[in-house]
Amino acid sequence: MALDIEAIRADFPILGRTLPNGKKLVYFDNAATSQKPQCVIDAMSRYYEEYNSNAHRANHTLADEATTALESAREKISSYFGTSPDQMIYTSGATEAINLVAYGWARENLDEGDVVVLTEMEHHADIVPWQQMSIDKGVEVRYVPIDTESFTLDMDAFEVALDGASLVCVVHTSNVLGVRNPVEKIVKMSHSVGARVLIDCAQGAPHERIDFDSLGADFVAISAHKMAGPTGIGCILVKRDAMAEMGPFMTGGSMIKRVTTEGSTFQEGHAMFETGTPRIAEAIGWGAAVEWLDQFDMREVHDHINDVASWTAAQMMDIPGIKIYGDPDRDDSSGAVSFLHESIQSQDLALLLDEGGFAVRTGHHCAQPLMDALGVPSTNRASFWIYNTMGEAESFVEYLSQVIERFA
Amino acid sequence: MTGSRKWPEHLDPVVEEFRACFDAMERYELLFDYAKMHPSALPQEEWNDNNQVHGCQSRAHVICSVDESGRFLLRGGADAQIVQGLMAVTAIAVNGMDLADVAEMEPDYAEAMGIRSSLTPSRANGFLNMFKRVREEAALLQ
Repeated sequence: MALDIEAIRADFPILGRTLPNGKKLVYFDNAATSQKPQCVIDAMSRYYEEYNSNAHRANHTLADEATTALESAREKISSYFGTSPDQMIYTSGATEAINLVAYGWARENLDEGDVVVLTEMEHHADIVPWQQMSIDKGVEVRYVPIDTESFTLDMDAFEVALDGASLVCVVHTSNVLGVRNPVEKIVKMSHSVGARVLIDCAQGAPHERIDFDSLGADFVAISAHKMAGPTGIGCILVKRDAMAEMGPFMTGGSMIKRVTTEGSTFQEGHAMFETGTPRIAEAIGWGAAVEWLDQFDMREVHDHINDVASWTAAQMMDIPGIKIYGDPDRDDSSGAVSFLHESIQSQDLALLLDEGGFAVRTGHHCAQPLMDALGVPSTNRASFWIYNTMGEAESFVEYLSQVIERFA
Repeated sequence: MTGSRKWPEHLDPVVEEFRACFDAMERYELLFDYAKMHPSALPQEEWNDNNQVHGCQSRAHVICSVDESGRFLLRGGADAQIVQGLMAVTAIAVNGMDLADVAEMEPDYAEAMGIRSSLTPSRANGFLNMFKRVREEAALLQ
């Protein structure tokens, strides 16, 4: 059944808003964060209005309701990602998730000279923790280059880089290029040399159903706010045997069994890694978000986004001076269209587009090594999601053409 | 600088020119024109890490000094035309002023010009960071 985009849009109150200059909002910054449906907003409000309490800590009714809601959300979210609640650790987002792998797993298991393989396509969140681990533990960090013609990973170089690797960290889908990497193949190749694999699914999860157990990766990092959930929460999905190799990262309340003045013992499983008061409202909101997403066939969602993005990119390529970075025409592209104009600087272009009501992202997108590989300091990026329409894309292309005609 | 106005009188015609624009796009167009007419632009060859204004989405560089008559001189450049245009307007304002007056100036001429977006924290970083640096350097040069 085809998606009813107008019905979907009706779930998002913000999409009806008008900007201070009177222009109607056209939101094309979904790779930065998605908008939230009313059910997510309501679920979070209901928690604060009706049963706000700390979880896991008391015996009163509100605490019981909050704890039940928090753990029920874990069940919904882990189930959505094709795994069980014991393999899911709540984090503040994908960045903390990757840091948890670095400080919880790599610090315990890697030593000087051990090899961590990254790619040039990674977000800073999947680069800086490994650079720090290189400083702290002396691990060797290798970068797999991208082919700047096809905007895809150089898989021959990947195979070479795998030699002697202990850990491979690869982004599922590039936040800049919209390119989806062959993660299934990457997991198999990495495991064949005995390396653990971390897949950063911050951009992938809003576009396809990530099935952790069948993907086979050891770690999968996910961010809630890019898939209709609230900001401030995400998770790391971890295979049981990998979790057993992890040591504590953040320490303090909740993650302990017993604390004395002489020392502490820790909880086991995911509880060891969830320190302090949980993000209760956020978890509940994310649970509502995956329930909302679960009503759709994500293949249809992906196809819709891909149709809008590839049409937009094709039209933009006809506008004089525009260069597209990435290949939005590929079937597996995620709906991020990065572009530059030859004479209108990216920040200028973003401000001019904003005057028309179009919210696009500008900058290095926290992917400076990728920018270096592309030979540019920044790009503009229009990124589409489930609620964007072809009509919005048409008005964007028309407005962009007018802006370029006037300011170039 | 008189009354509630925190910019020098000689900037009034520029502020008025921007105020008279029909809409934001016309104001941006005018800023692009001012970017080209920068009275003391800093050529790209002189851009370096020391004179870079950090925290900007665009690249922006400023050099503040004292001219032959002991008055303030701002030279600056940015790759974004909107920031460069605001820099040009700022140079028109501050060049030739007493150092003490520059050190006390406020950036509210941009708001008076109707460049709303230049003053919001996430975007204004180009302009506001540049302005803050100009003011700090004027204080140091005294």
